[in-house]
Amino acid sequence: MPKPKRKRLLPRSSRRALWQSAILYLIVIVWCFIVLFPFYWLVTTSVKRPIDVSRGPNYIPYVDFDPIPDHWQEMFGSQRESTLRHFRNSLIAATGSTLLSVIIGAMAGYGLSRFRYYWGRLGWDNDNIAFWIISQRFLPPAIFIVPFVLLYNQFGMIDTYIGLILAYTMFNIPFAVWIMRDFFNGLPIDLEESARVDGATRWQAFYRIVLPLSAPGLVAVAIFSFIFSWNEYLFALMLTNFNAITMPVLIAGQNNTRGIEWWFISALTLTAVAPVIIIGLLLERFITRGLTAGAIKG
Amino acid sequence: MGVDLATTSMSTVREDRLMKRVFLSPAVVILFALSVFPLIWSLGISFTDMQRGGSTIARQAEAEGITEGVGFLGMGFELTGRNYQRLIGDTRLHSTVRNTMVYVFFGVIIQYVIGIGLATVLNQPFRGRNLVRVIFLMPMMITPVAAAYTGRMFFDSNALRSPLAHFLRQLSKTLQLEQTISVPWFTDISWAPIAILLIDAWQWIPFMTLILLAGMQSIPEDIYEAARVDGANVLQIFWRITLPILFPISMTVILIRGLEIFKIIDVIVVTTGGGPGSATESLTLYIFEQALSNGNYGYASAIAYILLILVIVFASVFLAVGRRWSGSWER
Repeated sequence: MPKPKRKRLLPRSSRRALWQSAILYLIVIVWCFIVLFPFYWLVTTSVKRPIDVSRGPNYIPYVDFDPIPDHWQEMFGSQRESTLRHFRNSLIAATGSTLLSVIIGAMAGYGLSRFRYYWGRLGWDNDNIAFWIISQRFLPPAIFIVPFVLLYNQFGMIDTYIGLILAYTMFNIPFAVWIMRDFFNGLPIDLEESARVDGATRWQAFYRIVLPLSAPGLVAVAIFSFIFSWNEYLFALMLTNFNAITMPVLIAGQNNTRGIEWWFISALTLTAVAPVIIIGLLLERFITRGLTAGAIKG
Repeated sequence: MGVDLATTSMSTVREDRLMKRVFLSPAVVILFALSVFPLIWSLGISFTDMQRGGSTIARQAEAEGITEGVGFLGMGFELTGRNYQRLIGDTRLHSTVRNTMVYVFFGVIIQYVIGIGLATVLNQPFRGRNLVRVIFLMPMMITPVAAAYTGRMFFDSNALRSPLAHFLRQLSKTLQLEQTISVPWFTDISWAPIAILLIDAWQWIPFMTLILLAGMQSIPEDIYEAARVDGANVLQIFWRITLPILFPISMTVILIRGLEIFKIIDVIVVTTGGGPGSATESLTLYIFEQALSNGNYGYASAIAYILLILVIVFASVFLAVGRRWSGSWER
């Protein structure tokens, strides 16, 4: 597929001049450097001795400085309990909220795509409801600070997994519904209808036929929900105080507890970003597709 | 469709009537419980003197030995408009509003201009384009807290620690400047917001780029071909064809990013903590501090409503202007 298109983009008559190619590659390389250098700096800092961090800057391992594994050993040695606990907290909060968001988002998306709703009192139809749902995504989270603290205190949900999961699910649902509705709209209705003629219930048609066909949409929703919940800071900070603290809050708090120990903070930061980077590298095409579906059609 | 209707029995119609509620309800229930209700509740709180551990009036009463029937309807707090009066004289609030607007306005401009420039470059076919796309995704995947810490290492003004300061020192040596260029990134009131803008830009320019790139790739090649035949040059093609076609997508990404920047807090907490003074403090950070550090629930809610109004005004003005512009472009 890409082959003929590429040929059309570059007809013989207007082939790029050498200097144009040079500029193109220069810009690309400079930008890739800007993107990648901070990651490189994190990796190298995490294996530097403190003296190499403060008497530097040292760029190249084995040339400018001798890398040591001490900080990584400390993180998974003496700090093992703390590191793993916070990592697990992030994992539980993100996974739980992802599961809920995907299920609830797919159901609501399917409903809005296949049924006709009419909320008489407001005079709202499907489009109004969908717009109302997506608009929730853009409310400033600061407005929820006070009511959430009061509500969570009332129900004893401060510092619990279920509390974090519910809060993140609330933030993830709008986007999940939006993407899934869009996805189901593009799915032909015939298959479900013939299944229903054959006696399947609505739920069976949804569960057995529609869901398996919508794997790409579900994966996109899952990725976005997971990444959002994994990275979230404000609500994790406000709704946890010991047991359920997640990685971003742990990292942000390093400042106060340990002073600026860049080497240790770097190792910790890399641990926190590793899962999402891996997800990003493995599932890149789902992400790009989900992003563009969300923005272009929205 | 007609055949389907004919074969649909009464029981499936009844089932559907139930199922359509089943499908939509979970989402609506969660949004009502955790979004609509808190929203209305915090509007109510903003008109009370509620604080952590009771209200002012309840504490006074407690000191006098009265425990019940205090305040509005005996609910232990007072209805008051004081929180909104207080907004007017709160200079720290005014500077946080200004900072937030600066972040949104300049953040959106920087990210859009560089984003569309990079998208134009990436729209050319070249070797390794897929790899570059993957690399582009990396900053936007990571938690802003991580980006902020990395930014803090990078913008450190000590040339022995920070690669940027080191680079600037070497640069001034090479140019034989009398004074070494040294930027007090996080300690100077005019540089600190710039550092924060740059960290946010580093993280989110790729988002702009990827979406604008997808938009560019959906423009049919014939249009460019026709323009080239008519003798249009690269710049004319960009101004007259690419930009107008990308207009709706541009409005969407700018709106999304603008609304996201209104929420900025993590980068600021990690880099400057709002300082020096309150030169980098954002509205969200100020609300958080009023609510959780000071326990002023009523006042924090009032500020949060100011933020909400700003966000709504921003979005409406933006959409209205956008609609007018797109109209003038079509003509």
